[in-house]
Amino acid sequence: MLICANKSHLFPRVISIAISSQKGGVGKTTLSINLAHAFARAGLNTLLVDADPQGSVGLSLTRQSRLLSGFYDFLADPGIPMERLIVPTRLETFSLVAAGQASDYEAGNGSSGSHLARVRAFLRNASARRYDVCLIDTAAGLFGVTNDTIASADALIIPQQAEPLGIRSVPKLLEGLNRLRIINPHLNVLGVCLTMLQKNLAESTEADFSLRQLLPPEMLFTTSIPRDDIFIRASAKGLPVGVMDGGEGAEAVFDSLRAEIQGKLEKSQQRTAFNAH
Amino acid sequence: MDQVNPWLDPSEVRHLAEQLLRPVAPARLAAADPGFDKAFVGFTNPNRQSVETLPPEEEATPTPPLYQAAPPEAPTAKIPPGIIVTNEPEPAPSAPEPEPTQRTIPNLPKPVREEEQAFTPAPPQSAPTKTRFLKRIEIFRNWLAKNFNATDIFILDREGKVIFDESGHGRLHFMARNLALASRNTEVQGGNVHVKIGPEAILEVIPCETPYGRIVLGALVPEPLAAQHVGTITEVLVQTASPG
Repeated sequence: MLICANKSHLFPRVISIAISSQKGGVGKTTLSINLAHAFARAGLNTLLVDADPQGSVGLSLTRQSRLLSGFYDFLADPGIPMERLIVPTRLETFSLVAAGQASDYEAGNGSSGSHLARVRAFLRNASARRYDVCLIDTAAGLFGVTNDTIASADALIIPQQAEPLGIRSVPKLLEGLNRLRIINPHLNVLGVCLTMLQKNLAESTEADFSLRQLLPPEMLFTTSIPRDDIFIRASAKGLPVGVMDGGEGAEAVFDSLRAEIQGKLEKSQQRTAFNAH
Repeated sequence: MDQVNPWLDPSEVRHLAEQLLRPVAPARLAAADPGFDKAFVGFTNPNRQSVETLPPEEEATPTPPLYQAAPPEAPTAKIPPGIIVTNEPEPAPSAPEPEPTQRTIPNLPKPVREEEQAFTPAPPQSAPTKTRFLKRIEIFRNWLAKNFNATDIFILDREGKVIFDESGHGRLHFMARNLALASRNTEVQGGNVHVKIGPEAILEVIPCETPYGRIVLGALVPEPLAAQHVGTITEVLVQTASPG
């Protein structure tokens, strides 16, 4: 079952999903790339947007990333046609937009609200180009363009590294998201996805257990992303993990996550339709 | 649990998470907000688009120049309904020159120059200083009311706290804060924003950089302010809010 089109609150067609976390280094980019690949393989026209000024998506997937115009160039000049930003991939249903060359300038990330209208204009343009899903890999922390992205997106996924320190940052993140929902009341918080889970490390499994005790079950994905060397090998080759030799296991994990996301989105759409009646 | 639990309040975390899962009541941001009391003129049409759903054409315009306002002499009849963000380019050179402001500006203290300010830490606000400041604000308020038929004037500081208020509408402050935030541009001084909230009532929001940081002026006016008037008001407000 695929995501139903025309269900976005702000944009006619595309479902925009921000991938954001309070802490850096939790595997946001790995999750974004491989999840986008999973959506694209499922037949959904998918756009992966690098909204992290570090430009990790571009650095992971294309050698030309330092030359490409991208998301931050659009924020600086919304007159740039989308065609100049969209980078096709070998998979017809998978395209990406790099962070762009203006990202150095924007590294400070500006203040919240300053780019809200332009982020929304970007998503409207993506919607007009008939994308079904737009995944946005944001910079860590809740400020600046990341806030504006979350305040514009339909849904949010929170990657969280399965380790104690990361979990201690959860309350701060939840507080920030509650504040952002005042600006974007339609934001559908899909939940926390545990990443870099190490089943052979007690601290990691305890962190997993603790988080599952702390949060309501709807707030957590049952699928966790394991720590696996194949992710490093995949990014070294500039590929999603699914196309690597021996990547079938990791591919199945992201397929499972994709199915969970679709299930959550469909559920919330049904809830919205029910409330409308 | 020991590595996590002592650092967190589980009930607080659960409460925050549950809050995120609950739908936000649409009334919270509805335009026809019943939170306004009976004295409030209300919104003309709740179905009109909000500042966050501007058409793409608005966005295609280049970054606006230094502080900017509504088109000069914009007649009310031509203004599109709902919220209008007026970060438009400055009028062409052929446009009428702004009126000289000296005649109408009250005699206000000279603003502190930037280089002076850099070496002069702001003194703590003693009671007489505060009184003097409020007196200057009062003069500014009277000038604004007299020259622009402004009512319900309020001023918020950079954190959104009320410095001066005669409106008594907390929701109006909330809206002004959000509008100011939405119009904010880090590269240039923020332009003014206005929203029609009644048949003859426009909430005009003018963010303004002062030596004490950004403040936001809000006022109800009968029609949107022209660019030169916004410039004049900004200038006077900066003088008013500068240490004197």
